[in-house]
Amino acid sequence: MATPAAWAAACEKFRASLSLSQVQSQKDPENDPYKSKYRARELLQEVKALLGPAADEDEDEEAGGGDGGGPGAEEGPAAERAGPGARAGAGAGAEPSARAVRLAAVELQLGLNHIDTEELAAGEEHLQNCLRLVCRSRLEPAAVSLHLQAQNNLGILWSERDEIETAQTYLESAEALYNQYMKEIGNPPLDPNEHFLPEEEKLTEQERSRRFEKAYTHTLYYLAQVYQHLEMIEKAAQYCHTTLKRQLEYSGYHPVEWAINAATLSQYYINKQCFMESRHCLSAASVIFTQAEQTPSTEDTETEQEQQDLRQRRAEIARCWIKYCLNLLQNAQASLEDNIGELDLDKQSELKAQRKREEDEKENGRKKVVLFGTSDVCDAILAIEEKVACVPPLDFGEAREVFLVGQNYVCEAKEYFQVDGYITDHIEIVQDHSSLFKVLAFFEEDYERRCKMHKRRIAMLEPLTVDLNPQYYLLITRQLQFELAHTYYEMMDLKVAIANRLEELDSHTVKKINSLAQSAIKYYELFLDSLRDPNKVFPEQLSEDVLRPALVAKFHIARLYGKLITCDGRKELDNMQASLEYYMFLVDYCERYPEAVRAVETELELSREMAGLLPAKMERLRAKLSPFT
Amino acid sequence: MAPGVKDSLRAVTPSQSNQVSNEGDVIKVFIRVRPPTEGPILNNGEHPGMCLSVLTSNTLRLHSKPEPKIFTFDHVADMDATQESVFSSVAKGIVESCMNGYNGTIFAYGQTGSGKTFTMMGPSESDNFTHNLRGVIPRSFEYLFFLIDREKEKAGAGKTFLCKCSFIEIYNEQIFDLLDSASTGLLLREHIKKGVCVVGAVEQVVTSAAEAYQVLSGGWRNRRVAATSMNRESSRSHAVFTITVESMEKNNDVVNIRSSQLNLVDLAGSERQKDTHTEGLRLKEAGNINRSLSCLGQVITALVDVGNGKQRHVCYRDSKLTFLLRDSLGGNAKTAIIANVHPGSKCFGETLSTLNFAQRAKLIKNKAVVNEDMQGNV
Repeated sequence: MATPAAWAAACEKFRASLSLSQVQSQKDPENDPYKSKYRARELLQEVKALLGPAADEDEDEEAGGGDGGGPGAEEGPAAERAGPGARAGAGAGAEPSARAVRLAAVELQLGLNHIDTEELAAGEEHLQNCLRLVCRSRLEPAAVSLHLQAQNNLGILWSERDEIETAQTYLESAEALYNQYMKEIGNPPLDPNEHFLPEEEKLTEQERSRRFEKAYTHTLYYLAQVYQHLEMIEKAAQYCHTTLKRQLEYSGYHPVEWAINAATLSQYYINKQCFMESRHCLSAASVIFTQAEQTPSTEDTETEQEQQDLRQRRAEIARCWIKYCLNLLQNAQASLEDNIGELDLDKQSELKAQRKREEDEKENGRKKVVLFGTSDVCDAILAIEEKVACVPPLDFGEAREVFLVGQNYVCEAKEYFQVDGYITDHIEIVQDHSSLFKVLAFFEEDYERRCKMHKRRIAMLEPLTVDLNPQYYLLITRQLQFELAHTYYEMMDLKVAIANRLEELDSHTVKKINSLAQSAIKYYELFLDSLRDPNKVFPEQLSEDVLRPALVAKFHIARLYGKLITCDGRKELDNMQASLEYYMFLVDYCERYPEAVRAVETELELSREMAGLLPAKMERLRAKLSPFT
Repeated sequence: MAPGVKDSLRAVTPSQSNQVSNEGDVIKVFIRVRPPTEGPILNNGEHPGMCLSVLTSNTLRLHSKPEPKIFTFDHVADMDATQESVFSSVAKGIVESCMNGYNGTIFAYGQTGSGKTFTMMGPSESDNFTHNLRGVIPRSFEYLFFLIDREKEKAGAGKTFLCKCSFIEIYNEQIFDLLDSASTGLLLREHIKKGVCVVGAVEQVVTSAAEAYQVLSGGWRNRRVAATSMNRESSRSHAVFTITVESMEKNNDVVNIRSSQLNLVDLAGSERQKDTHTEGLRLKEAGNINRSLSCLGQVITALVDVGNGKQRHVCYRDSKLTFLLRDSLGGNAKTAIIANVHPGSKCFGETLSTLNFAQRAKLIKNKAVVNEDMQGNV
């Protein structure tokens, strides 16, 4: 054993090495990036020498088994160790010798040092040494952290070698170690670097616990990444969620960052249609974000840039909320619509009955969700959650509630993402607003009022198209043209339905129907024109991404010409002729390119039918007209 | 990455038809293999110290173990390819379509030392671009002004042209104007008429290739100066040279104005960097575990990206570079990527990742996708 003087020197060197690799190395010159790290390494080797040779009492027999080397050999023992063997070790109270623990702490630092300087193989060896030294006593408060951190780092090391499965083994083993320790021992363990601190500088229980929990949070975060790389997406999301939860619990987070992460995670839950989880993430994001706004920045004067960033982040969270409301509504629509896209009253009453049955079980479902935060944060989150439903709405009243929440967030998001400077974002938000109206209209039974909602959509979308330069915003321009065309088309259909209930068509209604149809045609044509090349030639063959929209546009134009109302026989004949031409385009195109049929099966069938019927109809009309000419 | 890019990536489904895709839909990907700096080159086809060999003008084989890998690209230029041949296979078509009113972008991608700057600029020593080792950018100037002169001759006084250049650098997610070394921290904004633009960037009018060279070499010098005085590596910044071409044609009182942009981009080195999440294109994803908890968001973003066409908003998106080049990656533009690789076996890992990147880039459809949502209302 080393003399007290040697021990003091060892402590001094160890701490110097930590400061070198953690602080000094930040300032190393570009052409000698590892200068401090190499110096730290030397110091660690000296500490090791001062501590004396590694071979110790009964350490050797264990080493024989654990030293099989390589990941394959490690997988078995690693898993085994977490099992019955470990319990025996803990039960036997394998109190580690102070020297073994100190050596393990040096080995851990050496391992990290080599990994930082891109010497992975040597780093692996040191980490394995560390594991071996504390293997039997890994459940002891003095050793558990060392073991956990060595395994964390072996996990990172193997992922760097693109051996994700091996990384997974180490990290899952670390996770199991943590759980076992907390179950069987539970008191705050020593920090790996604490072994070289003098008695009076030892950490408090609270600090020990904080560091240990942080290391474990890292385990979970690394596991989240491992699962993501292994495409175990659900598990990855679960671990991300737990990581966020732990960050909050142990106050190891930056509020803005945390809020943005939680808001982003909500979007994952939207994709999975888990609206309750999504809402919880978003509410938590809003609560934590408010903390960030309230705590003034460390400097007296916040820079304008920071203010700007905060405003942007707030708007981003609002946009996540918009998507939540929109998806909830669209989800409801999908479950309620019949085969022509109208509200199915049978389904509606069926779902309402079902919901009543489920309401009693709701409390149980609630518990399955991992909840964020402790009491006061929790209450704040709950208060926000209560403002919007997480079950799909079933009637207009409920849909309107969700719509209004979404609309509020639209306003909030637009405050930051203004047209001037944020064209794309701004238009995306307006498109979402329009979509909110669209799905709300689905729940509206009164046709006139439904029409008014579509009119609102047009009022918000149409001005955007005026100045937008399609050379830079082609995608958005096309989307707007298409959406406008389709909205006019829907409005026309509604007006026709209203007119059908009347005894007689009045001239006002006729004018209205015709003008809506003309507007729809105009926007479909604009969309089709956007497909032309700079020499205004329409492509011979449509590329895959615009195939369906283009053919649908042609088909709708054909139908629109068929709907135009006129009492002038000549004009009617012209409209029929135009209609026929558009139908024929579809039929001809699919004959030339049979692979297009898949995209427009229903439309093609109807087009064929119309192309067969129209000429005869036109012939009759012509015959009727001829006496007059 | 720009939102459109991911969406377009998603739109790429394995094509079931055997139709040839429309010209210009897809980003064209070229590989250029630079000659190694030292060591003998054996002429028996197999290079002992080399990690790859070029098989045909569009395939190459990477000597990976245990199975060698074959990659196919639009064009593979072997180490004996001349600057002229690289220009004519990659850039010529893009400059021509720029004259026809399309926006165009040419990227050079690859690890530091793989020959990006040589490909785009030419050898660094000389500032005159007359020698035949000059790269894609000076040759593009020449060709552009050749085409302009020809147009003018054909159209007579009726047609006029205006060319403006800007040259910026993106380093650490900050934008610097290389034509005005006093400027700092420029802002990116979207303009309703002009698309994405750098607020306050100097735009220099040029009337000939020679003037364009001057702008280029002046800016390039600023870039190198910056690289030493502020102690930062030039390979960690992206340089974007932009030429805006405006033509005005008068036909019996009808004025026809056409405008297009040509972006020539020298990307930062693609090799692992201290901070991968701020540098480089997001297309290149690190396969490794990120140690910093503050990158949690990236992991979550990756989870959200798997989405199935559902509406979602992801808070982390654009880097400055992808925002600036939005159009080039899935917009209304003709885009080419030149992936530069070093054939030495020491560079195997980086070469593989460059080739993988290039393979993925081929999947980007460079055309806008229309959200067509209509359910059962035929």
